[in-house]
Amino acid sequence: MISRQICEAVLRKAVSTGADYAEIFAENTLDHSINMISGKVESINDAVIAGAGIRVYKGLRSVMATTIDTSEAGLMRCAEKAASALGEGTAELEICLHERLYGDIHPVRIVPATVANADKIAVLKEGVYAAKEYSDAIKQVTGTLLDIDHNILIATSEGIYAEDRQIRTRLVVTAVAEKNGETQTGACRPGRRMGMEMFEHEVSARDTGIHAAKQAVTMAGAGYCPAGVMPVAIGNGFGGVIFHEACGHSLEATSVAYGTSQFAGKLGTQIANPKLTAIDDGTIPNAWGSINFDDEGTPARKNVLIENGILKSYMIDKFNARRMGMAPTGSARRQSYAYTTTSRMTNTYIAEGKDDNDEIIASIEYGLFAKEMGGGSVNPATGEFNFAVNEGYLVRNGKICEPVRGASLVGKGSDVIMNIDMIGTNLDLGQGMCGSSSGSIPTNVGQPLIRVSSITVGGR
Amino acid sequence: MDFNTFRQAVVEAAAKQGITEYELYYQSSESTGIGAFAHEINEFSSSVEGGVCFRCIVGGRMGYASTERLEPAEAADLVARAASNAASLESDDREFLCEGGKTYEPLERTAAPLPATEELVAAALAGQDALYAADPAVIDGSRSSAECAKTEIAIVNSKGLDLRYENSFAVFMSMAVVSDGHEMANDYNIKSGDFSKIDIKAAAGESVSNAKSKLGADVAPTGTSPVVFSPEAMSSLLGTYSGVFSGENARRGLSLLAGKEGEKVAADMVTLVDDPFYKDSKMPINFDAEGSPTHRKNVIENGRLTTLLHNLKTAAAAGVETTGNASKSSYDSPVGIRPFTMYIAPGTTTEEELLKKADGGVLITSLGGLHAGANVVSGDFSLQSSGYMIEGGKKGKAVKSFTVAGNFYTLLQSIADISDTVKLPGFGGMTAFGSPSVLVEGLSIAGK
Repeated sequence: MISRQICEAVLRKAVSTGADYAEIFAENTLDHSINMISGKVESINDAVIAGAGIRVYKGLRSVMATTIDTSEAGLMRCAEKAASALGEGTAELEICLHERLYGDIHPVRIVPATVANADKIAVLKEGVYAAKEYSDAIKQVTGTLLDIDHNILIATSEGIYAEDRQIRTRLVVTAVAEKNGETQTGACRPGRRMGMEMFEHEVSARDTGIHAAKQAVTMAGAGYCPAGVMPVAIGNGFGGVIFHEACGHSLEATSVAYGTSQFAGKLGTQIANPKLTAIDDGTIPNAWGSINFDDEGTPARKNVLIENGILKSYMIDKFNARRMGMAPTGSARRQSYAYTTTSRMTNTYIAEGKDDNDEIIASIEYGLFAKEMGGGSVNPATGEFNFAVNEGYLVRNGKICEPVRGASLVGKGSDVIMNIDMIGTNLDLGQGMCGSSSGSIPTNVGQPLIRVSSITVGGR
Repeated sequence: MDFNTFRQAVVEAAAKQGITEYELYYQSSESTGIGAFAHEINEFSSSVEGGVCFRCIVGGRMGYASTERLEPAEAADLVARAASNAASLESDDREFLCEGGKTYEPLERTAAPLPATEELVAAALAGQDALYAADPAVIDGSRSSAECAKTEIAIVNSKGLDLRYENSFAVFMSMAVVSDGHEMANDYNIKSGDFSKIDIKAAAGESVSNAKSKLGADVAPTGTSPVVFSPEAMSSLLGTYSGVFSGENARRGLSLLAGKEGEKVAADMVTLVDDPFYKDSKMPINFDAEGSPTHRKNVIENGRLTTLLHNLKTAAAAGVETTGNASKSSYDSPVGIRPFTMYIAPGTTTEEELLKKADGGVLITSLGGLHAGANVVSGDFSLQSSGYMIEGGKKGKAVKSFTVAGNFYTLLQSIADISDTVKLPGFGGMTAFGSPSVLVEGLSIAGK
């Protein structure tokens, strides 16, 4: 993308006022999506995103400058802007880059950018039509097939010069069902860090459509979820969003380094139920949130965050590592060159436990089974979180009963991870887009079926 | 490479490829931001972003392609990609480009000079001093920042349209973190406008006192009660549900307001305004994302739905005129529909009287998880909330970690009173939402 020699010259300019670290992040991305609505292909988004971000650090100060001009002259101007923001000074670092081949553990057999629109549309239609045909109650179906071909280059004053090509593919089908003048929605959004071969073995477009439609029809017939504090069983896969929000964000250096995390200063202490082990693993081959190395050039790792309830590790980027006096963990991520990198999650999940899945449901006298979760959010300082239940059922006397709609779960992260008191054996991952200060990035959440002994259920 | 040179290359490429109906949409922005922590500047950012979206009508269908590489060599590829994408589309809707030669309302405000970097640094540091000085409960982690940005938009098309827009703004942000030794609470506050006139001490003080008032908050009791939504809470709810007024969503069966023009959809006292020239708007603009002139309108007037919001395509499909609400969420997005500054018009009741009317209820000052807990199709919501109990007709003890549940369509009908002052909270860009305090009867609260 940019030669090693040019990167060296640009980094020399970047450290010319005394920076103790400098970094170039350049990208060339093809972003493509095909959208269907009302049974027809409605629009196609097709964008080239290209630019570079240059960062310099001096002690605990960080400077970032971005440009869309990635010519040598453009990069030099950008580096000069970054360097001058540090003030007066002289160069203290020697710049010598060595090419680094980290390898790629996420093979891609069919690069989406080389597939004709017509072939992609055939896959998309399979999903959309399956949803439409599922039931007469389905009034509208929208579908999107998106692929991103994200080429990045990272060069740092530490000598790293590395390139990676991150290809991701995702199918999104949402269905709207109508009963008695009221509407409800269902959705399914599988994605992988792979190409169009995803639809050969990993993901069925048809099943994706049926899943969305079935959920919409189920919820359209449902009554409102009752409100109150009760035990809740949360389904596997995307249910893991509970850990992502209630705990994950508060373990990112973004909040820990500044003391504004409910878990700052708690390493080595019991913060969760002894049954709970949680992991952030960027190395799962072809998983949606996986990377080969992070956006600062640190290799991806499997980080055990919590082991048997004891806090073992935070997720740390290079800049916050300085303030924390700890090593980076391969967790630095950014949406694009236009965002300042910070510590983020990759594939984060609660590890399998030993509780029998049926016994988890049977243990609940009166409560909620949140079969599928929606998104959520958290305030890392206070730990107060929320998330939506997309498909929920009441549980009475250990039996799953009628579906209920409009439920949400709220609470405090440090309480809820203590209250996760049963953990099942059907671990699965679910795909999401996570938003934070460094933009919107692909992350997996995951868990087996779990029980939260007591949590506030918002309903009416 | 600048837009004009690139534009010329695209025009030539289009001619060569036999494309006669097309539009170029250009957007660029330059921003500078300074962040401070523990009395020191710890973050500086300076960014330049921008790109061009080319769209063209081929065989009656509108194909799009975008790029950030504004190099003449890219022009032919950009045009070819858009044309090839058009050929893959199936929609039978009639597509339009805006005709040139329309009349636009003159803009009273133009781009203001941006503050110098030194002024931003001084403001961020003054923010730190003001935060720590405001109260001994303020702890490290409290941040202040200052940012300024300049945005440029240009739309040109094959029908003679040639529009330019430039705007700039500066903001000061303070986030207070306070601790009572047992728990932390935080609150932030954003001020914008003429940078030299921002009262940094007052802004920082406001975020500290709001954060402090959350310490020791209890969980609200479960039950049904009257709720007063503060302007902040109501604006965020309105913003989340603003899509229900979109003509596009209506004809797609994604809004229950479809076909309800002229009908009563809200309580009599509710008037909902969309104003591209609102006095507090950071980015007033006289043309929309297709180049149509913009204008102020009442979307709901005294409880009746006056109009949905339209662009050229949805207006033609509905047999009406465009309302000038074409929008793009970023330069490379397809044209959609959004309001400009949308707000609930003020009533006549003072804030004090409103709270008196809601005695025994809950004042909600903040809603969370709107992207998840609010279903924009069904209107159902169940949202994380924080605020205060209303005791003796006044703001009482702080409450948090509870939810408020209801349905947006029903809520519009059950608004019982509206206070007399509109606020436009949040960062707000070209699209912003505002509201007075609003009293709603009988919402479900889930807490302890």
